[in-house]
Amino acid sequence: MVLSLSLGASWLFSAAPITFNRDIRPILAKNCFSCHGQDEKKRKAKLRLDLPEGALTPQNGAAAIVPSNLAQSEMWIRIITDDADEQMPPVNSRKSLSAEEKKTLKLWIEQGANYEKHWAFIKPKKQRVPTVAANPIDAFLQQRLAKEGLKPAPVANPETLVRRIHLDLTGLPPSLKEVDEFVRDKSPNAVEKLINQLMKRQTYGEHMARYWLDLARYADTHGLHLDNERSMWPYRDWVIRAFNQNLPFDKFTRWQLAGDLIPNATIDQKIASGFNRCNVSTGEGGSIAAEWIYRNAVDRTSTAVEVWMGLTAGCAVCHDHKFDPLSAREYYSMYSFFHSAADPALDGNKIDTPPVIKVPRPKDEERLAELATKIKKVDQRLVEAVAKIEYTDPAELKNPPKPTTREKVWIEDDFPAKATRQGSKEWKTVSKPEPVLSGSKAFVLEANGLEQLVIGGANPPLVVKKGMKLFAHVYLDILNPPKQIMLQFHSGNWEQRAYWGENKITWGEEGTASRRRIGELPETGKWVRLEVDVAQVGFKPGANINGWAYTHFDGKAYWDKSGAEVTTDPTKDPTLSWKSWKAQKETDRNKDLTDALRKRFKSKDTVKWSETEEEELRQHWLSNTYAGAKEVLRLIKAEKTKLVAEQENIRKNTAVTFIMADLPRPRQSHIMIRGKYNLPGEKVNRNVPAFLPPLPTKPKNRDYNRLDFANWLVDGQHPLTARVAVNRIWQQFFGVGLVKTSADFGTQGELPSHPELLDWLALQFTEDRWDIQQLISRIMTSHAYQQSSTVNRSLLEIDPENRLLARGPRYRLDAEILRDQALYLSRLMVNKVGGRGVMPYQPPNIWEPVGFASSNTRNYKQGKGEDLYRRSIYTFLKRTAPAPFMASFDAPNREQSCSVRGRTNTPMQALQLMNDIQHVEAARNLAQRIIRESGKKENERIKWAWRVVTSRWPAKEEAEILQATLNKYYARFKQDQESAKKLIDFGESKPDPNLRTEELAAWTLMANLLLNLDEVVNKN
Amino acid sequence: MDFNGQSAPEPRRSSKQELTDMNPALEYHQLQNRRKFFRGAGLKVGGIALAQLVGQRALAAKPAVTGNIHPALPNLPHFAPKAKNLIYLHMNGAPAQLDLFDYKPGLTKYFDQELPDSIRNGQRITTMTNGQKRLPVAPSKFAFERCGTSGIEMSELVPHMKGIADNITMIRSVFTQAINHDPACTFAMTGSEVPGKPSLGSWLSYGLGSESQNLPAFVVFTPTVKNPSQALFTRMWTSGFLPSKYDGVKLRSAGDPVLYVKNPPGVKPTDRRNMLDALGKLNQKTFERFGDPETQTRIAQYEMAFRMQTSVPELTDLGKETKATLEMYGPNAQKPGTYANSALLARRLIERGVRTVQILHRGWDQHGSLPKQIREQCKDVDQPTAALIKDLKQRGMLDDTLVVFGGEFGRTVYCQGKLTRENYGRDHHPRNFCMWLAGGGIKTGITYGETDDFSYNITRDPVHLNELNATILHCLGIDNHQFTFPFQGLDQRLTGVEEVNPIEAILA
Repeated sequence: MVLSLSLGASWLFSAAPITFNRDIRPILAKNCFSCHGQDEKKRKAKLRLDLPEGALTPQNGAAAIVPSNLAQSEMWIRIITDDADEQMPPVNSRKSLSAEEKKTLKLWIEQGANYEKHWAFIKPKKQRVPTVAANPIDAFLQQRLAKEGLKPAPVANPETLVRRIHLDLTGLPPSLKEVDEFVRDKSPNAVEKLINQLMKRQTYGEHMARYWLDLARYADTHGLHLDNERSMWPYRDWVIRAFNQNLPFDKFTRWQLAGDLIPNATIDQKIASGFNRCNVSTGEGGSIAAEWIYRNAVDRTSTAVEVWMGLTAGCAVCHDHKFDPLSAREYYSMYSFFHSAADPALDGNKIDTPPVIKVPRPKDEERLAELATKIKKVDQRLVEAVAKIEYTDPAELKNPPKPTTREKVWIEDDFPAKATRQGSKEWKTVSKPEPVLSGSKAFVLEANGLEQLVIGGANPPLVVKKGMKLFAHVYLDILNPPKQIMLQFHSGNWEQRAYWGENKITWGEEGTASRRRIGELPETGKWVRLEVDVAQVGFKPGANINGWAYTHFDGKAYWDKSGAEVTTDPTKDPTLSWKSWKAQKETDRNKDLTDALRKRFKSKDTVKWSETEEEELRQHWLSNTYAGAKEVLRLIKAEKTKLVAEQENIRKNTAVTFIMADLPRPRQSHIMIRGKYNLPGEKVNRNVPAFLPPLPTKPKNRDYNRLDFANWLVDGQHPLTARVAVNRIWQQFFGVGLVKTSADFGTQGELPSHPELLDWLALQFTEDRWDIQQLISRIMTSHAYQQSSTVNRSLLEIDPENRLLARGPRYRLDAEILRDQALYLSRLMVNKVGGRGVMPYQPPNIWEPVGFASSNTRNYKQGKGEDLYRRSIYTFLKRTAPAPFMASFDAPNREQSCSVRGRTNTPMQALQLMNDIQHVEAARNLAQRIIRESGKKENERIKWAWRVVTSRWPAKEEAEILQATLNKYYARFKQDQESAKKLIDFGESKPDPNLRTEELAAWTLMANLLLNLDEVVNKN
Repeated sequence: MDFNGQSAPEPRRSSKQELTDMNPALEYHQLQNRRKFFRGAGLKVGGIALAQLVGQRALAAKPAVTGNIHPALPNLPHFAPKAKNLIYLHMNGAPAQLDLFDYKPGLTKYFDQELPDSIRNGQRITTMTNGQKRLPVAPSKFAFERCGTSGIEMSELVPHMKGIADNITMIRSVFTQAINHDPACTFAMTGSEVPGKPSLGSWLSYGLGSESQNLPAFVVFTPTVKNPSQALFTRMWTSGFLPSKYDGVKLRSAGDPVLYVKNPPGVKPTDRRNMLDALGKLNQKTFERFGDPETQTRIAQYEMAFRMQTSVPELTDLGKETKATLEMYGPNAQKPGTYANSALLARRLIERGVRTVQILHRGWDQHGSLPKQIREQCKDVDQPTAALIKDLKQRGMLDDTLVVFGGEFGRTVYCQGKLTRENYGRDHHPRNFCMWLAGGGIKTGITYGETDDFSYNITRDPVHLNELNATILHCLGIDNHQFTFPFQGLDQRLTGVEEVNPIEAILA
């Protein structure tokens, strides 16, 4: 638990003379500024103590402070008075000055009451590097240690160090081979070599990105209300890429804050601008748009200010900042940069709330280009093939061809494809010598009253054509003929009926398509063909018939060969005769045309077609409609269809990602009174706070924009940007920043433990052209980083939080590293990079009990195979119900920007590391490795296993404890094979069948124990 | 759970443990002295942060079993508390005050008449009804009654609650700002509409610690309902900027009752015990190697985890509850995942020293078909809620347990959708709603606050949710003004930056 102590600043300076920023401002800020600070509305007695102008200027003949004159200083008089009415801070304010604080103030006034601008708002000064150590970082640190009479610790042993470096650069422990190599490498630059090698790994980017995503508040859902999925992961993948490419921090900044505004922005720059879109959003019905436009802009502003400037701007949303010199006006001037974002107030609960861009994978881009070329070629071949067709319009022949009739037999001996019997009546068949018309069988139905044979679900269906006749053959029994026979056809419903004979069956309405009488009953004792014109039963061309019924009222009949016949007259068929196609109504022609052609020929009479237009359409008709060419073109067309399908498939599966964009016409921003979205006050223009360097002169032809804001942050003149950035990287390696409050560099934040070092690092960072890897190398090659973390009682008392760095960093690994480490050591990890968030193991009922019924992230759909074993950075992050492996180890839920994670130590964590399926499965897989990869002897295995998880060999006693435990487990599982089996079967991966069950079970529990060691869950 | 009753292990001590065997109180003094010695200048530490440090050291100092693993901050409670524990029954979705507790007999004559402009006063309404041409008044179709000797008014929907009327204080004048569920729920539970702040229960765990050595300090239920038409958010019980160890722990009806409390298949408690014995010894070696007090804490937390593996199944086993008790909570008392079961478990948790229990019951968002739906909702919660109060009372536990019942806002008097005498819907209404409190520190049989004839505006004694939270803290012995945590440059409070005070009039 490293979360609390903030003694640091005071004692770090115990030896120095009084200065305003270090000694006085914190006292005034804590006790005085809320009434005598820069918030004008809350200011009492028109007195402000944060500026010398306020404190030193006499009002009504008295000044709060008269330098070097205690007796004349009203402030001092009011501090030491016994009169409760006069006393400052007021008795009822619940603030009070300690004797120590009073003494400090007294000394300060006596020494001349010198004011200073807040340290962090002054540009870092070039520092003279002390000479006590070769490495500048160590020089600064050791100078300080010497003052405290402390010495740095010796270098950590190589096994500890190699694990520390691996974990810090890749988020994964070293392999045994890597440990061996490092231990063997006695060269003076061994650490440097290792660092350079690790920084080239993909895993470096994945690890570094994780910290940034906490700041960016990246997640895979919108975060509010339905908390539906949003497609943002290309941004996550870009962050990984940016670290792997070591994108300099100034570019990293510009792209994220304003990538969309960079001229000719690349896809990556646009993706990066999605930083501004990572805020939570809502799609809740009833929300008021103005409120959410306001809130989204506030979130974006406050996040940018916290991430790059380390300031807590949130206070100034409602009023002038009480402690920092940030007025509400200045806040809203910065807000104005973000206030014109083009995204809608409500996210629509959509996965792709605009503005978004499509992000094709590199492979896809290549393939799309290939496909485009191929399609072009196929089109060319098609044109050539069409040109070869020798077409004469049959309608124009002297001896036009005769109409032809074609029969499509649908029911013959058996049902059509995919059709099944419906209705209760069995389809009985007969064979000769009973009446059979064709084939080998006929169906027979003997009805008592109303009965029928029904089929449905035929696929492909029978497609209705113009002029089509539906037919069936029937043989009525001589002795027992039906009173009425009926054919029924199903297309969406059964309301198409044709009948012969009496009108006994009451379905539908007589005289309509739903009950159409065709004629008398046919003659009995012979086969008769029944025919129904599709128009008689209300079918339109194109309708799909997929069900058919033979129905009687009473009597017996045989049914055979049924289907449809179409008579085509080539001279009148629009698929054979160009003339007749042309003569159709426009709406009918349109069915065969492309959108573009349809548009061009809209309402244009055929007589007005020019010759070239007619030829163009004729070519189109030949290639697409003309039945005579179908066969010739079939293969070419099939080829094209395939290519187009692939093209569409790639397009459909191309990821989208939210990007930032501004409205064409910017919104006017106002100071929002008391932070209320519906109380706009004075208008404000885009600008930056007065206590920081100004923006360059405004361009003549446009307003300032976000890109100007981003440039301003990284132009090298800004006092905060580099300090805040290096401090955060420092925090990443030492657990605590040089400024402990890494999100607050304002007057309420803590003073830096080593201000000179911080300034040196910040200046060096800008001089190194914002090279992040260079900065990290500087830190990691210091002795401070490499020293042993062992602490003794007296050092712990002096420096419990390790702010002086008389020892190396030691703290619990982050949530993701703990899971990744288990996957890595067990060889379960799948090294796949990027893509949509995956859903690894998660206990039931994490999402479901909180999710909306209609949310698309209500039900957790656990992935399979690879998805279970990807690195944790790729886990799908649902904001309202984060994965337990993340949440219980202090990972933020990404609802707002997070600069530093807590580091708790709880029983819930213990339960998870012991019992979570993913940790138990990892233990079993690690056990398999132990048995397979180490020696046959138990003591060899124990040593090997210990070294795999800790990177070092076990001490004798440690090995003995493990051996004793192993013996117990062996004995236990030998007696209880069933339990052993259950244990090793836990998880999706299959246990190695070549290993003995009790042996694997015993080692699984051993591996489980090893993965729970304090030394393994910590960076040591 | 195939646990067979292992006894807790003996505390392990070694001669090299003197570092962590420091007396916490002594250490506190040492720190205080050092604090003075280091001069005030630049000392950025409030009492709480320092206290927290001491709390952690104390934690580190404790051997595996004895002592309090999760102590209160040293300056807390600020004064003698009336209640030690809190049960918060959150009716998620906003129950209609007009149909439950805010009786407006005069409305009948306004049926289907336009809500007078003088009442609405131009205030904002949600975009769900701002498109409606009319805002017709929908009187409640339910019969009301003055209950008990106190005469608190309740409707026929909550027949069992009528029986506890004399044990509660009904507030009819609670209000909030948010008009939508997400921000309103977030506010009700964290004192802020914007996510990121600690929940009430997390604040209490942080400040007051836990009495229990084998259960978490803050337990949450999200019972299943027929129609989960509203979402819950883990932020309603997580710790925001406080350390995550103050998160509420969900007691679940499916899967493990507490996440990962079950050993993997084939692993028996004796196996776990063997592992923990070895782990403890090995971690002790690690402590000797590195000297990191966190290692000692980890040893203690693993032991606590082991104890939870026994205590959680014991907790959820209702075998020893009497038939009468089970019947009192209704037919669902023994059915895991129901509100009734959660209510009964809430009592058992409080009995075992758990500080805060929160039950979040969904489905109260009746924009349409209100009469039918609210009846079902009430059927779910009415009897168990009343039973919980009676049960606590009969065991003498109500005196030091505070129970809070209510939603995140109220519902409108005007109808949303089609209006008939028998059927209507109501939109969101943050301007006034009803909540009731019972137990330690709260007066009994009181009705506090009044609204106008339309239950649309508060006419007397408004209670902002921040004041309600201040009152809850007060009952638990906490001065909300002094109860702060530094974050983002501000001394953060549950009750916000403005001056907020407990409601004196309802304090016993």
